[in-house]
Amino acid sequence: MKKGYWIAAALTLAFLGFGLTAFQKTLTPYLTFDEARKSRGVVQVMGGLDKESDRYDTAKEELSFDLVDPAGGRMPVTYRGTRPANFKDAISIVAIGRFQDGRIDAEKLLVKCPSKYQGPEVEKAYSASSPGKTS
Amino acid sequence: MYVWPGVAAIWGALLSGLACAGTYFAVDRGRRDLLPLARATYAAFTTCVVVASAILMTLLLQHRFDVAYVNSYSSLDLPFHFLFSTFWAGQEGSFLLWCFFGSLIGLFVWRSAKEQEAPVMIVYLSTFLGIIAILCKQSPFKLLPPPAPADGVGLNPLLQDPWMVIHPQVMFVGFASLSVPFSFAIAALWKKRWDGWIARTLPWVLLTFLTLGTAILMGGYWAYKTLGWGGYWGWDPVENTSLVPWLFTAALVHGMFLQKARKRHRKVNLILACTAYATILYGTFLTRSGVLADFSVHSFIDLGITGWLVAILGTFVALSIVMLAFRWRSIPTADDEEAPLLSRSVLFILGIATFCALGLVILLGTSAPLLTRLSGTPSQVQTSFYGATTAPAGFLLLLLSGLVAYVSWKGTSFREILLSSRRSLIVGAVATAVALGFGARDVASLVLLFTAAFAADMNLRAVLRKASSGKLGGAGGYLAHVGVGIMLAGVVVSGNYARIQRLTLKVDTPTKAGDATLTFLRVVPGTAERKQAMEVRVETARGKSYYAYPKMYENSRTGQLMANPSIRSGVLTDLYIAPQQYDPGQPEVVGRDVRLAKGTTTNVEGTGFTFREFNADRAAMMRGEKTVLVLTDLTITPPDGSQHDATIKYVFHLDERAPEPEELAVPGVPNAKMRVVAVSPNDGAVVLRLTGISKNPADEFQAATVESLSVEVTRKPLIALVWAGFYVMMAGGILAFIKRSGEARRAVVEAGRAAEAPRAEPAIPPTGPALPAHSRSRIE
Repeated sequence: MKKGYWIAAALTLAFLGFGLTAFQKTLTPYLTFDEARKSRGVVQVMGGLDKESDRYDTAKEELSFDLVDPAGGRMPVTYRGTRPANFKDAISIVAIGRFQDGRIDAEKLLVKCPSKYQGPEVEKAYSASSPGKTS
Repeated sequence: MYVWPGVAAIWGALLSGLACAGTYFAVDRGRRDLLPLARATYAAFTTCVVVASAILMTLLLQHRFDVAYVNSYSSLDLPFHFLFSTFWAGQEGSFLLWCFFGSLIGLFVWRSAKEQEAPVMIVYLSTFLGIIAILCKQSPFKLLPPPAPADGVGLNPLLQDPWMVIHPQVMFVGFASLSVPFSFAIAALWKKRWDGWIARTLPWVLLTFLTLGTAILMGGYWAYKTLGWGGYWGWDPVENTSLVPWLFTAALVHGMFLQKARKRHRKVNLILACTAYATILYGTFLTRSGVLADFSVHSFIDLGITGWLVAILGTFVALSIVMLAFRWRSIPTADDEEAPLLSRSVLFILGIATFCALGLVILLGTSAPLLTRLSGTPSQVQTSFYGATTAPAGFLLLLLSGLVAYVSWKGTSFREILLSSRRSLIVGAVATAVALGFGARDVASLVLLFTAAFAADMNLRAVLRKASSGKLGGAGGYLAHVGVGIMLAGVVVSGNYARIQRLTLKVDTPTKAGDATLTFLRVVPGTAERKQAMEVRVETARGKSYYAYPKMYENSRTGQLMANPSIRSGVLTDLYIAPQQYDPGQPEVVGRDVRLAKGTTTNVEGTGFTFREFNADRAAMMRGEKTVLVLTDLTITPPDGSQHDATIKYVFHLDERAPEPEELAVPGVPNAKMRVVAVSPNDGAVVLRLTGISKNPADEFQAATVESLSVEVTRKPLIALVWAGFYVMMAGGILAFIKRSGEARRAVVEAGRAAEAPRAEPAIPPTGPALPAHSRSRIE
């Protein structure tokens, strides 16, 4: 039976080693907009959505928008995928992808939402019918 | 003041739980006469938890919005079933739900523990006391400062789905029942009773396997049919932290079965029971403490309980390690058997190792932000990490599960196994050939598909073999393996060979999408029962047509744009239409739209427009009236240097589009007119439409656009196999559960008899007993 354990141990170790290699290969760091502009691989950036910039380009069938950071930096993002449900409500949006042609070409978006929907009722009711759908 | 009974019940649970643990300690010390008291305090603990849950549920159903939890997660407009599910919408409620199931399961545990009752119950209780202590600190019964709000904030619209009503409950049953093997394992280490716990806890481990598995699939199915990105699994930390305990549970099921059959490998199961429980605690820590808040779609935000969670995790991990280290040398091992490589024992051990290695690697990936934070920039792994690592592990598991059906405990020669697996090899080859015929060329996918078909067929034959000898009840494991094969075949094919197209459908214009033709017909307005949907006619390649209704609507409370796909499920392929963007189009517009931000001046053709502020009839808004008058105050500075104040009226409609707004002359600019066409108070902006101000008339003409719908059309081949395989796997699990429950009941009776005759219980010899060879050598 010892044999079985030895093989199992070797297998587990080999697999963990393989896992570690894959881990290092696919690690995507969180970068500031400036760092992302200089990067080559897949990175992730975080910022608030500039609602004005959010549009769907029917020619390219992709979503494009700008993220802004507290320092006033701006990073255009394009995304070919379904707009996440809480997109417009997000406190912040994380875009994961490569920096190409002056924008982040996102493979994935993570949307951080307020866990509780708060704020004066009035404001919510207003935003409920702001005619922003065509943008 | 109706919350104090709730607070009292939580504290009551903590105190009675502590009293119960103390009393059981005394019982363990020889005060057998205190046993009824210990059980009574456990009953009191359960009662307190149930009462606390009942009070929270009552507060939610009665809309007591002055209670912070009720206010945060529920609202008046929720129908009953969603109101019911707000109980576990937040952290506090879901912790309470966990304890609720745990305390009820404990009532069964004490009955089945028998001679181990005191040590098992002490450990079992302690797994919940930490959470109860968190609830004492972070109570769900906190009150808001007065005045009490008239309505609550409401439930996240994404969670307003029938699947999300039952998903968390099933999940927490699984979490709670995994405390059982952990308690028995620690008690076994404590009292050096190495074998008795396996038979009695196997049904609980199987229950976790079934419930956690079901909860994971429900979550996946919900994502598939609701979120619209076309998949069911995104490797998000919340998903991973339920998958990893499930993998360890699967490992534990195999280990326990091995120990039951062979009376060996005791260390393996003790380690697995501790690890499986630790992964649940670690997952709870990852998702509840806020440490991954920037890396997950749905981690909870930090409530200030991180320290508590770390303490609970640390305590139980330390306890497990110390107990294992302390007893390591006294755990009996058996060295008398040298099983050949191709034997069941070795396959089981390899399978368990693969489950564990896969679980650890997924945990490694999920913990990436934590690990990398130690050395600098927090980073996260891409989802391709999980694909790269699960594929080889999946291949190994499939291969092992296929072989195990025809390999005996004693060992089987390579020739024998080749002979007995001929048919299944052919089945695998046929599946691969079909995939090749459909154009699949990716080697990894083909190998996985081959192995999956091979494993499913090997095990299917084993099920039939069992059934024909009248022992279908014992075929649970094989049946589960059949399901795994089917499911993974579906995962590979639907994941790697989905065809995705993104296109924009102009209204009434048929558009080709692959071999289907889609025509966007109209927007179907929402009603009280139905959400607003898009009507799309789909004509398939075979000339059949149907109407698809992907939903797209604004949540009336939050203003979020929600989109749900339309899914046409076929046997071979799902046609998945996810709406991306609806453009209502607009008739040609005369005028130039200028967006003004509050407090800033915008210059248009030499005239400055300063948007000072707007005044809305907030009282009317609060009363919930459908139309509200908004007055916009502007200061206008024409090129001549004069300065004029103007106030423009705008009627704001909640339900329909506003009527033609009031138009005013722009003071100081001849022939120029202005009106407000949109306001958005959240951004502090208005849109002003100006006419007669531009020098170039073309600036004041916006051409008409056509109504259109942008969609993502995905063909998911063989995704039905994922669900079908899952059902088969669960059916196998249920068969095993029934069989092992019967065995557990007999084991409890036996243990009870032994406990009544103290000291009569035969001690287990330090080395494994010589097994009656006849029952072990054949294939079971």
